[in-house]
Amino acid sequence: MSNAPAPGGKAGLRPQDRLATLVIAALVMAVAIAAIIVAGDFPPTMLETDVGPARFPIIFAVALLVLCAILVFNTLRAPAAPPDDPAQVGPKASYGTVAIGIVATAVCLYAMEFVGYAIATPIYLFGLMWLMGRRNLIANAAIAAVLTALIYAAFAYALSVPLPVGSLFE
Amino acid sequence: MYELDMLLHGAQALLNQPMALLLALFGVTLGIIIGALPGLTATMGVAILLPFTFGMDPLSGLLMISGVFFGGIYGGSVTAILLKIPGTPAAAATAIDGYELTKKGQAGIALGTATFSSFLGGTASVFVLIFLAPVLARFALEFSASESFALAVFGLSIIASISGVSVIKGLISGFLGLLLATVGLDPMGGFPRYTGGYTELFNVPFIPVMIGLFAAAEAFKSLEDPQVRAGMAAALDRIIPPWHIFRRQLGNIARSSGLGIVIGMIPGAGADIAAFVAYNEAKRFSKTPENYGKGELGAVAACESGANGCTGGALLTMLTLGIPGDAVTAVMLGALTLQGLQPGPLLFKDHADLVFTLFAGMLVCYVFMLVVGLGSLRFMGRILQMPKSVLTPCILALCIVGTYAINNSMFDIWIMLAAGVVGYFMQKWDFPASPVVLALIMGPMAEANFRRALSLSSGSYDFLYTRPITAVLLTIAILTLMLPLLRRLWAQRSTGGPSTINPAAGSSRMGTPE
Repeated sequence: MSNAPAPGGKAGLRPQDRLATLVIAALVMAVAIAAIIVAGDFPPTMLETDVGPARFPIIFAVALLVLCAILVFNTLRAPAAPPDDPAQVGPKASYGTVAIGIVATAVCLYAMEFVGYAIATPIYLFGLMWLMGRRNLIANAAIAAVLTALIYAAFAYALSVPLPVGSLFE
Repeated sequence: MYELDMLLHGAQALLNQPMALLLALFGVTLGIIIGALPGLTATMGVAILLPFTFGMDPLSGLLMISGVFFGGIYGGSVTAILLKIPGTPAAAATAIDGYELTKKGQAGIALGTATFSSFLGGTASVFVLIFLAPVLARFALEFSASESFALAVFGLSIIASISGVSVIKGLISGFLGLLLATVGLDPMGGFPRYTGGYTELFNVPFIPVMIGLFAAAEAFKSLEDPQVRAGMAAALDRIIPPWHIFRRQLGNIARSSGLGIVIGMIPGAGADIAAFVAYNEAKRFSKTPENYGKGELGAVAACESGANGCTGGALLTMLTLGIPGDAVTAVMLGALTLQGLQPGPLLFKDHADLVFTLFAGMLVCYVFMLVVGLGSLRFMGRILQMPKSVLTPCILALCIVGTYAINNSMFDIWIMLAAGVVGYFMQKWDFPASPVVLALIMGPMAEANFRRALSLSSGSYDFLYTRPITAVLLTIAILTLMLPLLRRLWAQRSTGGPSTINPAAGSSRMGTPE
């Protein structure tokens, strides 16, 4: 569900949307400035007719700074949105679940480098299914094993695409 | 007519080679599967099959590879529409409206439209290849570095069309994508830019970023939903779109196929560019452009017919001039050479029988694609009936494995995860992801060709306005970029007040209706 504020005649920004937009604009401006600073160290071109490796990154970064400045200006100018009608607010999003899911994916990738696809993936699938509310442990384990095997069969056997073996088993 | 006679003879010869037809069917089926799986592309499929063609007769080998090519371009649309996972870069354009149609419960019609549009676009392109190859080949030769730069700029101007309501946010996404596209080796001097010492970053990690921004971000978004046990909509209803609905898309499909054929002929421009350009032009000529991005069937028809229209165009340049239009045709060029056939003008003269039998076989490949595509849609549609609590982990596992399949690199998967996290936050605050993908495709093409053109013109910028094709494309690009902004200013003046669409506000999906 988008956090986008109400449009049209009721255009306006909720405080959290205004803050989020300003934070994103600030982050993007920081990235652009960093890109310009790093591009300053790129060597000049050896060809007289070439603009060099720094020109295009600097053009893109400057454009980003200008666009973010416009966004900040528009965001600060936008009127405040009316308070949300409790009757119209949907179910509360579970951000903690998202955060755990992202961390679980990162842990799976880290583990995969050591133990490989065959061990890391079924555990990861099992954990995600449990995280999403499935509590039947035996069914989850079976589904995780079957999905892991199916993906392995499709990629490694049918298409000859090797999957990570893991440094412990190499 | 000479070509028609030769085509009929070729069809007759094809009927006497059932093994060639069987291998074409196998190639198409494999191509659809490969296209549907994220991380695997038609190029990879063709490269995997190439060694198997060594022992085959030329016709069988080339038809099998053509089948993978055609099926691969189409296959990406299936997962793009059902799951917002573009199986191929070209399907990233289809995913914009295709997935919105699925959310509206119209996945069946979207898939059916995509299948028929791919068939029509691809078939039209093969007919153009058969009857107009020598004529159009001369057009391909007019394209130099400056024209390719102008085409890339035109492609980038499409960002304004796919930005949704907030053009500013869309442009920010686009320029972020352009900046990201500069990571890697400088195209002229080979200097590593922003790589931080990682050799894995020497090439733009385009597919990991695409999978992350679209598929992984969408999967992370599903984790938010407290009602995770519920599957998505009911089973696919009708797949064959009603004639009165599909009939309205025929003009759109014809235009998009034409664009795809022209873009396919240009070396370096492939189905991904064709799909986005077709999308943009379909929106430009549509009576309801405001529906684009919210689930418009015309968008799906345009993207698919444009992408598959590219196949004939790419083959045209490869067969007539020996210049491969993209990676797939480069591999096919290798296959032809291995079979002792030299692409170029003499191919049509010295091996006319084989060439026209091949053309007849390509038309049959597209018929196979239609049949296999429609036949497999019900099976694919069952994916929708899986509960999200199983589907989401499966999607994330496919993202991981598909990304690894590109370069056998764990680094790529970390990039995919980072893109997924960034994509999740981007969609929360309505920064569209499509402009990033578009920029990653067009950015390197624009920079490399600009610098090449500048060198070719000895440092003078006059190539921007003295070469007619370049000047026309750049003018259209400027108009495409300015048009949404001008429309808003015009709307503001007409209503006599601030625009009803606030560039800082973002999506119009929420809020009370006016």
